[in-house]
Amino acid sequence: MKFQIPIGPQHPALKEPISLRMTVEGEVIKDADLRLGYNHRGVEKLAEEKNWTQNIYLMERICGICSHSHATCYVQAVEKLMELQPPKRGLAIRYLVSELERVHSHLLWLGVAGHEAGFDSFFMYTWRDREVVMDLLEMISGNRVHYAMNAIGGVRRDIDDAQRQKILDGVAVLRARSAYYLTIGANEPSFVGRLAGVGKLSYEDAVALCAVGPTARASGVARDVRKEDPYAVYDEIDFELATADTCDVLGRTVVRIKELMESYKIIEHIVKNLPAGEIAVKAPRKAKPNEAVARYEAPRGENIHYVKSNGTDKPERLKVRAPTLANYPATVVMLRNGFIADIPLIFAAIDPCICCAERTVELVDARSGEERIVRWSDLRRLGAARRGAGLKGNAVWPL
Amino acid sequence: MSDAAIIERLRAELGAKALDVTNPDVRRIFLRVAPADLPATAGLLRDRFDMAYLATVTGLDLGTEFEILYHFASPVTTVNVRARIPREDPRLPSICAEIPGAVFYERELQDMFGLIVEGLPDPRPLVLPDDWPAGQYPLRKDWKHERPAEIIPGGTS
Repeated sequence: MKFQIPIGPQHPALKEPISLRMTVEGEVIKDADLRLGYNHRGVEKLAEEKNWTQNIYLMERICGICSHSHATCYVQAVEKLMELQPPKRGLAIRYLVSELERVHSHLLWLGVAGHEAGFDSFFMYTWRDREVVMDLLEMISGNRVHYAMNAIGGVRRDIDDAQRQKILDGVAVLRARSAYYLTIGANEPSFVGRLAGVGKLSYEDAVALCAVGPTARASGVARDVRKEDPYAVYDEIDFELATADTCDVLGRTVVRIKELMESYKIIEHIVKNLPAGEIAVKAPRKAKPNEAVARYEAPRGENIHYVKSNGTDKPERLKVRAPTLANYPATVVMLRNGFIADIPLIFAAIDPCICCAERTVELVDARSGEERIVRWSDLRRLGAARRGAGLKGNAVWPL
Repeated sequence: MSDAAIIERLRAELGAKALDVTNPDVRRIFLRVAPADLPATAGLLRDRFDMAYLATVTGLDLGTEFEILYHFASPVTTVNVRARIPREDPRLPSICAEIPGAVFYERELQDMFGLIVEGLPDPRPLVLPDDWPAGQYPLRKDWKHERPAEIIPGGTS
């Protein structure tokens, strides 16, 4: 007996509009269909009508949570087109904001994961501590969400010594708090049991479906643009790539907490070794005909922007691929054979940013469409195999 | 492995299929192939160059032709494979058999540029809004957005 459950586009469990259609048998999801496009804005077409500077702010508005990511990826590409070399201090401040943004995004995600797992005190702790980094970002840029730090050829605002000290103090607080989350996680068996074994994505699937970011890294795919294609400051900074091999939501949680720790390291390194000098160079108004590909590791995974110029002050083509879009095919695999009650957790675990993914198109997942008849005996066998698999009493925090 | 070594290997493995190889920037290799060679090139990159990861597919409207750019990445470099197809007959083969994660990007091409990707495992049209008119491809250069006249019920405008 097959049954289709529509979730969304408007649903109390979803923060942004998306339509999930679950084909279920009993409690088990047999197939999932994603229908997107409810947030479609046509950003790529619009970008062809804006000049290079205006597009920074357009790109920044692709996403609210990782706003700095798209803007930075875009200016990286445009700086290549214009053959500009931003000064070292400008780059350091730009990527300092990047890492602060990663911290705020991962703390936000940890809260959401706690909330979806029914562990709301965890949610309240992480979101309270997220205010520390939000305050730092506001101090640096004047804004909590859209930092507007990027300019073509550098950044728009400098930081002074008092601010540097405040950043270091804030990071010290956050590091202690993150260490505390690790203790909570390790000592809260119901939390670990809720996350372990949910939303399985095998290494092979993660590779074949081109998953990115923490989703891929939790399946053992050591893929991080900061390591593979070290842009700007990252080849000078020592940090570790966080991976996990549990291939489930627990792994994705652990990867993000480890990444928080690495981000604190990077932030401290940048703040302590901030080069002196200018923060930006002057950019030309036009770019000669050329093309550039820029890659950037956003909190959710790789951003890639392809920019082509035609000699005017506007891009000929600006292609944006946000990490959430790359993770959708993997999400369908994760949902398959999971429970209905796991949908919010699995879906939240890719840290979906629907407005990012929908800057231009809507997508419908490839679905076989063929009906499969499952016999009662098979269902019972499946049920027996699942018995005891729900709550893992013996699951351990893998750190 | 350096970009130069990878380019050398690409030329050796692809032979005459590699129409043009450039390396404008570090870790950015651009390779041009014929559209018919795309699936074979994708398979080769996946098997011999550790490039099972397709970052995205970019479509470009060049006027009389469409250009399609497949952005492959390995842990050491990126290879951007480009192919050109004529505007009158915009057909290209799907690479989904080689790279299953490409399906969304190829369907995006179908929707936004009106290309026909042959052999897509799920060729359902990518619906923009459900009532999107047929034959309208927003990212073609000759497509202009016209805002429909706003009709206020009971109003005069």
